[in-house]
Amino acid sequence: MAFKIASSPHVSTTLHTNTVMKRVALCLIPGIAVQSYYFGYGTLVQLLLAITVAYLAEAAVMKLRNRNITATLKDNSALVTASLLAVAIPPLAPWWLIVIGTLFAIVIVKQLYGGLGNNVFNPAMAAYVLLLISFPVQMTSWVAPQTLTVNYADMLHTFNSIFQLNAGYAADFFHLAIDGTTMATPLDTLKTDLSMGLTTTESMTKTIFSGSVGEGWFWVNMAYLVGGLVMLKLKVIRWHISGAIVLTLFVCASIGFLISPDTFVSPIMHLFSGGTMLAAFFIATDPVTAATSPRGRLIFGAMIGLLIYLIRTFGGYPDAVAFAVLLANMCAPFIDYYVRPRSYGHRVGN
Amino acid sequence: MLTLLEQLDKGTLWRSPGGIHPPELKSLSNQSTIASLPLQSRFVIPVPLVGQQATLSVKVGDSVLKGQPLTEGAGFIYLPVHAPTSGTVVAIEQHGSNHASSLPVLSCIIEADGLDTWCELTSSKIEQLSKADILAKIKQAGIAGMGGAAFPSHVKLNPASEIDLVIINGVECEPYISADDRLMREFSDEILTGISIIHHLLNPQRIIIAIEDNKPEAARAIESAIRRSSLPNDMIRVTVIPTKYPSGGEKQLIQIITGKEVPSGAIPAQLGIVVHNVGTAYAIQEAVLQGKPLIERVVTLTGESIGKPGNYWLRIGTTVEDALSQVSFQPESSQKVIVGGPMMGFALADLNVPILKGTNCLLTPSQAEIAPDPDEKACIRCGECAVACPALLLPQQLFWHAKAEEYDKAASFNLKDCIECGCCSYVCPSDIPLVEYYRVAKSALKNAAEEKLQAEQAKIRFETRLQRLEDEKNAREEKSKQAAAKRQANMKSGDKDAVAAAMARIAAKKAQAAEGITADPAATTPDTTTTKAAIDATSAKKTAVNAAIERAKAKKAALATQSQKDNQSDVATVTTDMPVDTIDRANDKKAQIAAAIARAKAKKAALASDSSATNDVDGVQTRDTVNEVNPAIEMDTTIAAIPVDDKKARIAAAVAKAKAKKLANSAKQEEL
Ligand code: SF4
Ligand code: SF4
Repeated sequence: MAFKIASSPHVSTTLHTNTVMKRVALCLIPGIAVQSYYFGYGTLVQLLLAITVAYLAEAAVMKLRNRNITATLKDNSALVTASLLAVAIPPLAPWWLIVIGTLFAIVIVKQLYGGLGNNVFNPAMAAYVLLLISFPVQMTSWVAPQTLTVNYADMLHTFNSIFQLNAGYAADFFHLAIDGTTMATPLDTLKTDLSMGLTTTESMTKTIFSGSVGEGWFWVNMAYLVGGLVMLKLKVIRWHISGAIVLTLFVCASIGFLISPDTFVSPIMHLFSGGTMLAAFFIATDPVTAATSPRGRLIFGAMIGLLIYLIRTFGGYPDAVAFAVLLANMCAPFIDYYVRPRSYGHRVGN
Repeated sequence: MLTLLEQLDKGTLWRSPGGIHPPELKSLSNQSTIASLPLQSRFVIPVPLVGQQATLSVKVGDSVLKGQPLTEGAGFIYLPVHAPTSGTVVAIEQHGSNHASSLPVLSCIIEADGLDTWCELTSSKIEQLSKADILAKIKQAGIAGMGGAAFPSHVKLNPASEIDLVIINGVECEPYISADDRLMREFSDEILTGISIIHHLLNPQRIIIAIEDNKPEAARAIESAIRRSSLPNDMIRVTVIPTKYPSGGEKQLIQIITGKEVPSGAIPAQLGIVVHNVGTAYAIQEAVLQGKPLIERVVTLTGESIGKPGNYWLRIGTTVEDALSQVSFQPESSQKVIVGGPMMGFALADLNVPILKGTNCLLTPSQAEIAPDPDEKACIRCGECAVACPALLLPQQLFWHAKAEEYDKAASFNLKDCIECGCCSYVCPSDIPLVEYYRVAKSALKNAAEEKLQAEQAKIRFETRLQRLEDEKNAREEKSKQAAAKRQANMKSGDKDAVAAAMARIAAKKAQAAEGITADPAATTPDTTTTKAAIDATSAKKTAVNAAIERAKAKKAALATQSQKDNQSDVATVTTDMPVDTIDRANDKKAQIAAAIARAKAKKAALASDSSATNDVDGVQTRDTVNEVNPAIEMDTTIAAIPVDDKKARIAAAVAKAKAKKLANSAKQEEL
């Protein structure tokens, strides 16, 4: 009769890291579905590519580090990183873009920092920024929403574009660009227009906005919001970070909009355009790179919200989510250091 | 704003942070009444205090009666242990302990005779006993806190400060355990009697019996017992608190009931609060009224590997093995046997260990019930642990530092305030055994503190030794100094005589020169005294130096006196004369040169003294003299051992003397 020795407690929740990660990935599905509906199958192809590369890269690194490969792959963190990067980049971007991005995210940003739990930067966002800086043309040519184009990117088109089966990549890519399959995102358009002296209202009359925040984009953001709310319900994430981001962004945008509605973007546009909801619920909530205490997370989230607003409004890049998240990542350790809860029995003046 | 008492009376509850809601699983064991098991034949009673605060009062081969104390001792926190049944002490040896470490402790092994005969018990009535008597009875009964910590109860019942609030802990928040639940349901009146004894001892303003809302039967039983009891009904109440782990923790319970936090490192009594377990109240009642020592307690035997789970009266000292064998225990392969609940209990390595006063549960889960420990994965910093921590710590930071063995840093995150409740480990999605890391860190810190203490003690020892040596040295030096002083004193007088003689000589010379002043009567003695001084000087260098210094001083003194007696030029004469006197004994050229210089200066000084103001010159002269005499003295010291009568020197000295006289004369004449 062998008695098993173990330390207390002897029970634990059934919510494990791999389940948490799996749920995050599952909650992305509504967003991915809507995104595919409006922008074609490109996103799905990118997803497949990213996930495959991520798992292969993780396995290779684990082998090199002499670690247990299956245990690591099973934590599903690579799945989440790959998915986030895949939905963030333009659906028709060439294949090597996502491959480079995923490799960078997994090998450099995550594993070289010591693997899951030790990385300072959000891998998906670090990779996104790398790609944005290195390949700005490919990274900013977003597909036109399906409803706005006759040359909708069908399956064949998508594969041609991503894998560059026809002719050279460049020719095809720009061919697509010319025939209107790709175009700038609404935020991008607005920014360009504002810089050209148009007012917000004038710019908004363009078809891409379809009267509100941009055809397709509104619903994509809505879908990510729904996924996010499900995660909150499942206790996969806590509300602090997402809530702080949304609230800060809303407040900042409202102030700007109230002061000068013609030169500032409306709060609704801020919230439901670009990667706002994806960032608020799926990216910034990555626990590894965020602050850990509830108060710290509020500060962390508010920082991201503010940075998104500032970079979008005054910065050179149309969408600011990735930069905002990375900057906040850098601050997370400091936030954690300075925002500590008051332990039991340490009440001031007790 | 209501006062705290009013809020207590209303049953206001405060929020305690963190906490978890694990499956309760109490129904497995709380369905039937507390049962007794057949008397075992062998008991193991640990006597860990023997050798420190206690001595054994039995020896191998002695026969003992049920309830007979096995140890004797003094000391405030000493607690006796008793024989759980009548029988024979068959061994007193090291035996595996019922502790996470299972390190052996000294234990009495008692072989039961099956008669279970009580020793003589003295029952009494509360009214007849003084408080001290009651406390003594509680102590003699060996009553320790029965919630798990097993802290001597009489200590808690005899606090240094006033107690305003007594909380009777019937919370029993750990899953599976139902011993207190059953005890409250079945022995509510006895518990109330125990509480009235506590009331009598502490005289608090309020007594709150806290029970979790998952034990409504127990709460009802206690409430009706309160109505039956003699305690004033307006100062005692049952407060039902929401079920949450670890609400039964002392600090958490105080927070929930009063909203106060026990300051870190303090005890509840400092807030005027004490917490006692319901089981303790029951045992106090038995001890005080019937004189029964604590030899038996209710233990929950539960888990799916036990065929007849439930609550049982078990004698302290029953081995876990024996207890389990009575309740259809069917171990699985790699069966876990946990002492205590699933949250804070520890798994046993060996079942041949005794039930102790604080053992409230034996849990034998099947693998389906409690899965074998999964592998630890990477911390994803999800922060769930911090949300669950009732002590408001940052378990993830503690873990980070504990794992890196940066124990000081872990301590800076208030590791010592961790109550090891296990909430953090429970919620951790990465299955990190956080509490285990904290235990390691805590014991490492404890060891470090002990080492530091030892090092400090060693340092103190070392320093005392140094001090002692130093003192001895000082004492020796003091002695030799005294001796030297004595010698010096001897010599001083001689030296003074010498000076006096010299002065006398000078005076005589002066008298000759001036033809006015007669010789001093002291002039008759100089020869003998100077000789003596010289001999003394040869005997020891040191003494010589001292002597020289003394001489110098004497000269100075002489100067002063002389200057008072005579006029300025006289002083100059004396000073000039002194180096000459030194050279008398020297053959060194240098000395001669020095003497020559001194002479020259003296002359100059004398000349100056003539022309300039008296006071100023006096200062200059004194200084000059001292400066010049000093080198001469040094030389004197080095050669004093060999008194030489060198002709040259003598001649030189004679010449010098003559010159000095001349000088003095002229000075006098001028003066006159
Ligand atoms: S075991 Fe310690 S750190 Fe963990 S939850 Fe309990 S008190 Fe907090
Ligand atoms: S619960 Fe576990 S994984 Fe989450 S932060 Fe705490 S230790 Fe890390």
